[in-house]
Amino acid sequence: MELKINGKNIQVDVEEQMPLLWVLRDELNMTGTKYGCGVAACGACTCLVDGVATRTCTLAVSSVVGKEIKTIEGIASDGQLSAVQKAWIQHQVPQCGYCQSGQIIAAESLLDEKANPTDEDIDQAMTNICRCGTYQRVREAIHTAAIWRQEENSLLG
Amino acid sequence: MANQEKNNKERSTAAKWGRRAFIGVGGLAGVGLLVGIGGTVYVNKKIKKYSGIGMGEGDSLNAWIRIAPDNTITLAVPRAEMGQGIYTSIPQMIAEELEVDMSTIQVIQPQPEAPYSNTFLLTQEAPNAFKGYSMMEKIYAVLPIVATGGSTSIVDGFNNMRYAGATAREALRQAAAARWDTELSSCKAEKGYIINTVNDEKLSYGQLAEAAASIEIKELPELKKKSDWKVIGTPVQRLDIPEKVTGTAQFGIDVRPDKMLYAAMRHPTTIGGKITAINNQEDIEKRAGVEKVVLTEYGAAVIANNTWRAKNAALALRLEEDSAGNEEISSAGILAQMKEVLGEAAIATPEQEGDVDAVINDENNTVIESLYEVPYLAHAAMEPLNCTVLVDGEDAQVWVGHQGSSIAQNSVSEVTGISKANIKVHSTYLGGGFGRRAEPDYVRKAGAIAKEMPGIPIQTVFTREEDMRNDMYRPAALSQFKAVVSADGEIAAWDNKMALQSVSNSSMSRIMPAMAVSPAKDVATTEGAAHLPYIMKNRKVSFGQVDLPIQVGFWRSVGSSQNAFFTESFLDECASASGQDPYEFRRNKLSDHPRFKAVLEKVAAMSNWGAQDGKYRGMALHKSFGSIVGQVAEISKLGDKQFSIDKYYNVIDCGMYINPDTVEAQMEGGIVFGLSAALYGEITWDEGEVQEYNFPQYDMVRMNVSPKIENHIMENEHYPGGVGEPGTPPAAPALTNAIFAATGERIRKLPIVKQGWSFA
Repeated sequence: MELKINGKNIQVDVEEQMPLLWVLRDELNMTGTKYGCGVAACGACTCLVDGVATRTCTLAVSSVVGKEIKTIEGIASDGQLSAVQKAWIQHQVPQCGYCQSGQIIAAESLLDEKANPTDEDIDQAMTNICRCGTYQRVREAIHTAAIWRQEENSLLG
Repeated sequence: MANQEKNNKERSTAAKWGRRAFIGVGGLAGVGLLVGIGGTVYVNKKIKKYSGIGMGEGDSLNAWIRIAPDNTITLAVPRAEMGQGIYTSIPQMIAEELEVDMSTIQVIQPQPEAPYSNTFLLTQEAPNAFKGYSMMEKIYAVLPIVATGGSTSIVDGFNNMRYAGATAREALRQAAAARWDTELSSCKAEKGYIINTVNDEKLSYGQLAEAAASIEIKELPELKKKSDWKVIGTPVQRLDIPEKVTGTAQFGIDVRPDKMLYAAMRHPTTIGGKITAINNQEDIEKRAGVEKVVLTEYGAAVIANNTWRAKNAALALRLEEDSAGNEEISSAGILAQMKEVLGEAAIATPEQEGDVDAVINDENNTVIESLYEVPYLAHAAMEPLNCTVLVDGEDAQVWVGHQGSSIAQNSVSEVTGISKANIKVHSTYLGGGFGRRAEPDYVRKAGAIAKEMPGIPIQTVFTREEDMRNDMYRPAALSQFKAVVSADGEIAAWDNKMALQSVSNSSMSRIMPAMAVSPAKDVATTEGAAHLPYIMKNRKVSFGQVDLPIQVGFWRSVGSSQNAFFTESFLDECASASGQDPYEFRRNKLSDHPRFKAVLEKVAAMSNWGAQDGKYRGMALHKSFGSIVGQVAEISKLGDKQFSIDKYYNVIDCGMYINPDTVEAQMEGGIVFGLSAALYGEITWDEGEVQEYNFPQYDMVRMNVSPKIENHIMENEHYPGGVGEPGTPPAAPALTNAIFAATGERIRKLPIVKQGWSFA
């Protein structure tokens, strides 16, 4: 199978049913995407599939052939952190950090869909579990990233 | 300096009534005859068991500091980074005295060697290795307990880390004075340089490190006053966060040493059970990607070339299990047993003042009586338990996120027979600890599996299901109260009796069997229930032990995780029974404890306590791990038994603090952790098997339920207390007290959601 991950075409030779999560982690050694529950209940494994936040621990690899996959490793471009990543640092969001790849991807997806999300939008879109309880900072960082993204866009104008 | 010693003394005294389980040192008394290490050995680098592995190029000024010729400063931080920010706050303490910018520092975690022992964890005395260890501290320095838990890292390191920085700085100054042949007093340390104040010449630390490394400091320098701090007490950005936003931070589950294979386990399903046979081993070994099926004393495992293939193959194993006679254990039976224990004589009475029984048995008095209940809880850290072990002849390596490098090393040694000196520990970040990763079980299991394939690193990963069903749980507990409150609101009698399993007995028998206390001596059972700060004329706190084969363990805030809910709820009941406001009722009883009173007054003011604004408020005040926390929960009623948890106001007095932003982060996280337990957390048994096995059965607070949190940190010069745990205990009672304010219904049993309440 040929996968398109972070803009690169990559050949993998695995069972069709193998979840994308394990293809990334164990076949390609891309370990930024995390295993949390295996039943799409926690969001630690979230990646962008054709731009939409998707839980990959139950997503058969054969179903994403021909789609654009973006993982946490592909969020920064040319060494430049995304607005979301910068906001995560600004607000010192992560504690243990294990769920944060998934949280950041979910936030990127939300902001792609809604440039200026309300608290209610954040409540609905951000359903990933953070056992350390960083939710307040995740919320604040999303609001900050929304502003920074708009500023970047207006500069690019 | 005098003030500092006074603070230390105060801390020691205060620690006595917060004294925790680890102190059961009886079993080790004989070891005290060993020759201890000299009191001032750490002042220079002549430390026999310190290897400096992983510290990179350069010269060691002591066991914590190495400076390279290019001025890179490598600090050995011997505590686990599990999100509490210790890879930043220990460097802050060193940098303050060493006079370097935080940006020049890199952190490694050293091997579990003597200088890095967490002696506070066991002695509850703030150590000062540079002034000389006490005899008891020497024991732990010889048998190093290099562990992270009990909110002790700052408390343990506050003296040692500052002296590590200060003595290194002095050695650098002396090296410069010798180089320039000038007076020491004209050599000033500033931002990684020694400056000659006479002629403005300067030498970088990198240029002086080699000479400084051989200088012995004869006299301890004086530490800076709090008012002179530039790094301690400031919100330095955490050093670990940049790699946690790019996915490059390495957790235990992310290590990929050469040729590594993956293992998935099947544990016995019944409490205390044992897998006795695998009936389809050959069939499973024929599966694609499967290398080997093994049976260890801990269960069966499949080793494969991919975690998913290993997991699927493990699920297909047909196993025989000896249930050890525990297949009758159920949650209903456990509750009945706990009630029975409550009716029997207590095994210990850690607090008794006056004559409680006389007041309660006086027919003229009205007795308020309540029974509280909490369930077993899982830790459920986001990173499922995992550990990677390579057994290679006489040597071994272990890659693991742990709460104790010495525990990890011991565990591999025990199951492989390899000498500890030949076991290298690679310490990774932890995807959550919360007490679970202080347990040795997952390292032992990984070692036992790896031993079956020598020469190849084996990464054993528990599935979420295996993780949740094989936890060392926070024990269920019953707490019975009887109280007499006088008409003017004074507590004339307070009688509190608990029934639960002993955490310290269970957990220490696994971590360090020689240190396992008997259940009757387990102070963790009543921590936070005994020695409340409130004035009570007569009081008694006692407990009975529930004897069950369930493994129980340290869970963020330990005994306080249930005892704050019990005591602060019942105190509210007492206030209500005497017609008093819960705030005034508490405040009137705190005249002996001004620090508690100040916290309570501050949180009441912040939360606009008493406002008639359509919100409902509940408060709780609790001391744990050396720090006092007051919280007010503010909720809104959405419908019948339906609420939104709008906001928590949180005030902490943790004495002097190192990094205010990480203190606040720990408070925020601690509240959410406490709320998850209060709302949803419950582990149950049926026919000897755990019934909850993944997040759909054992849910957590998520964004939509999570409250806004406003913090305040009290300013003072008391010796530091812990911050990792104290935010958790008051969260549940603050919420249930607010629900009482809104509805008049008293919640005496957790979790709340299972009793028909809902939150959005």
